[in-house]
Amino acid sequence: MSSINQADLANLDDGSKKEIMTFLEAENSKQKVQMSVHQFTNMCFKQCVPAINNGDLSTHEEQCLNNCVNRFLDTNIRIVKGLQSLQ
Amino acid sequence: MALSSIFGGAAPSQQQGTTSNPAASKVKEQLKVQIAQELAVANVTELVNKITENCFEKCLTSPYANAQEGCVDQCLAKYMRSWNVISKAYVARIQQASTSGEI
Repeated sequence: MSSINQADLANLDDGSKKEIMTFLEAENSKQKVQMSVHQFTNMCFKQCVPAINNGDLSTHEEQCLNNCVNRFLDTNIRIVKGLQSLQ
Repeated sequence: MALSSIFGGAAPSQQQGTTSNPAASKVKEQLKVQIAQELAVANVTELVNKITENCFEKCLTSPYANAQEGCVDQCLAKYMRSWNVISKAYVARIQQASTSGEI
């Protein structure tokens, strides 16, 4: 990988800086979603896939995975609302 | 978001910058590529760790005399399919929340 020229980096114009910031913000939100997917998959796979008999997901397993994410998010929303009402 | 994006399959958006300075454009592109690559590495690492942990747990038992390669291969396929199912469900949920004005 070619290294970044430090002088060029220091001399970036405002427009370029802004473009980089926008890029970073977009990558950052994408990364947050990805990390949540890692977390949910880890959690739901443990609960929904009891045994490994083949490489495919059964309809039952797939439904369980879908429900697992949705119920987790429902719970998360309910917790946030519950805490807000305590304030 | 598909699993392939984790492996750096999604190229950084080729935005036509307003700058005419070639040095600035070069630095900008280098930064974007470097950021995207580092994120891809972080994602693959996370995925490898989580799959190893889960499939080790599901396929192997004490005293670990057998490598259970067949089970591990199937478990890997299952985990990747699960990742895609979860990703779709989560993204759908985010989209639903944003169209209904919840977030």
